[in-house]
Amino acid sequence: MQAEAPETRRHRPLAGLGLAITLAFSVTPCSSWAGLGQPFESVKTDRARMSARMASIAMATHTVSALTLANGGVVKEFSNRSGMVFAVSWRGPGRPDLQQLLGGGFDTLQADNVDRGGRRMRAPLKVDRSDLVVHTGGHPGAFWGVAYLPQQTPSGFSGADLGSP
Amino acid sequence: MKVWALAAMLVMLAACGGGGGGSSTTTTPTPTPVVTAAANTAVITVDAGPPALATGPNGFISDNLAFVSVTLCAPGGSNCQTIDHVQVDTGSVGLRIEQSVLNPSLLAALPTQGDASGAQVGECYQYVDGYAFGSVRDADFQIGGEKVAGMPLQVIGDTGAFSTVPSSCSSSGGANLNTVTALGANGVIGLGVTQTDCGAACTVAGGSGAAIYYDCPASGCGQVIAQAASTTAPFQQLPNPIAAMGVDNNGLIITLPAVSASGQASATGKIFFGIGTQSNNALGSATVLATTDETARDGSGLITATYMGQSLPDSFLDSGSNLYLFVDSTIPTCTGANFTGYYCPSAPIQISPTILAENGGAVSAAFQLNNAQTLLSLSNTSVLPGVGANPTAQNLMNAYPSSFDFGLPFFYGRSIYTAIEGRTAGGLAGPFFAY
Repeated sequence: MQAEAPETRRHRPLAGLGLAITLAFSVTPCSSWAGLGQPFESVKTDRARMSARMASIAMATHTVSALTLANGGVVKEFSNRSGMVFAVSWRGPGRPDLQQLLGGGFDTLQADNVDRGGRRMRAPLKVDRSDLVVHTGGHPGAFWGVAYLPQQTPSGFSGADLGSP
Repeated sequence: MKVWALAAMLVMLAACGGGGGGSSTTTTPTPTPVVTAAANTAVITVDAGPPALATGPNGFISDNLAFVSVTLCAPGGSNCQTIDHVQVDTGSVGLRIEQSVLNPSLLAALPTQGDASGAQVGECYQYVDGYAFGSVRDADFQIGGEKVAGMPLQVIGDTGAFSTVPSSCSSSGGANLNTVTALGANGVIGLGVTQTDCGAACTVAGGSGAAIYYDCPASGCGQVIAQAASTTAPFQQLPNPIAAMGVDNNGLIITLPAVSASGQASATGKIFFGIGTQSNNALGSATVLATTDETARDGSGLITATYMGQSLPDSFLDSGSNLYLFVDSTIPTCTGANFTGYYCPSAPIQISPTILAENGGAVSAAFQLNNAQTLLSLSNTSVLPGVGANPTAQNLMNAYPSSFDFGLPFFYGRSIYTAIEGRTAGGLAGPFFAY
């Protein structure tokens, strides 16, 4: 049986060749998760962690920051006028680091998608709560999803503004 | 018009993370006097799944999963084991077997793949509902009469250096599919449209797609490594087993019978390996669907369905999905506690999407949608036609769907062709789906 890697293992130095790379990359501290519910500044942290190219576009009600990943995948972070990331979307050959993108919402995602017993379907992960909505889909090689905080979403912002993720 | 402003951000580097039972044993085949099956076919069965699923207080049976048996041998062809209830999945690529179903002697005889630093190679592979993590090992593989020598497969839930899942694997979310119960099968055989399970995304250091390959010294897996995409030895990434075959290597046909609308315990069909390579696998009059290739924004194997007047360019046919997934807020969803999001029409209704064909026309993909809660509440019934669900959260503001997933129920009563990218099938360039 396998165990989940505990959080404390995140900075465990890697053996062999990995050690040098780990040291070189550890200049920027990673003390907190960025993404959903975090200040817009955290988008830059996400960009760096994903080694992504980034472009930001200011809209009437929000700002969209699009991060293009090395494998062609795209992550978008939507910030409101208060500077908080209230929505994220992703698409690409693999799912991105959702623990990073969803922040505290990741635990909710896991809790809401555990096996509840009985018959089951291989259904995509989702969360349907008043303070967090997550919708995912696709198959290996083509994944997509959106997550948002309904209570932080600017008035006038609609699902269409999230776009087809 | 809105005012648009572009801002470029400075480069900044940082890094966080990094990072049974149920199988049959080997027996001597009993000679049978009946007509010999063609070498390019294998029997597929939709049934209750591995017996291990039904054990214990939380036991359950499979729903709409198509299974096949595969045979693995140690390199050289000795020490073989036939593994039943391996799920047939045209939505993924690569053979993955739970460690718990492998005979210990065979497991010990399957060499783990090594990397440039002399360590073992591990792999994480993402599914829509979770992830599989384990070792990459080589085995002589056989399905029906088709064979591949020294083919890499993933041993899910492997022990030793692979006993801890890297956080960069589990952070993609969902369940750890490291047991037969969690996976719902003894393994998965991914026979989708690409030649390998990661392609170019994994051929650069640190690169990943649905697959993430790891350097795994004895202390555990951490560093993400590059793996070449090859369908012949020396392999690195897991190949599509069909693409690695010596013949009949351009795709497959899955044929399943029409089934009772009220469900049934099991159904038996056939896989034909190859398209247009033998007398039994001609493309014939099947309609070829317009299918994306690797140059598309969202990768290979997507088709465009149209439903309720809306174009859905991220649609796909997927034997590995055990239901239809599409958005239609006019259909009642189920009220049972374990059926949130499933469609529960009071009486069966006709759903009538179309799919864009290669010739520019639209082909009907109509089916009958049944009450999911009624069917899923039946005991001893694993073949469940017309079961569907809405994959969006119910309160998603102005849901913006772009996909229609035609899962295994769509395969009942049809022959569905899946042609591999970079291969010619029936005179046409893959990838494509057809039916």
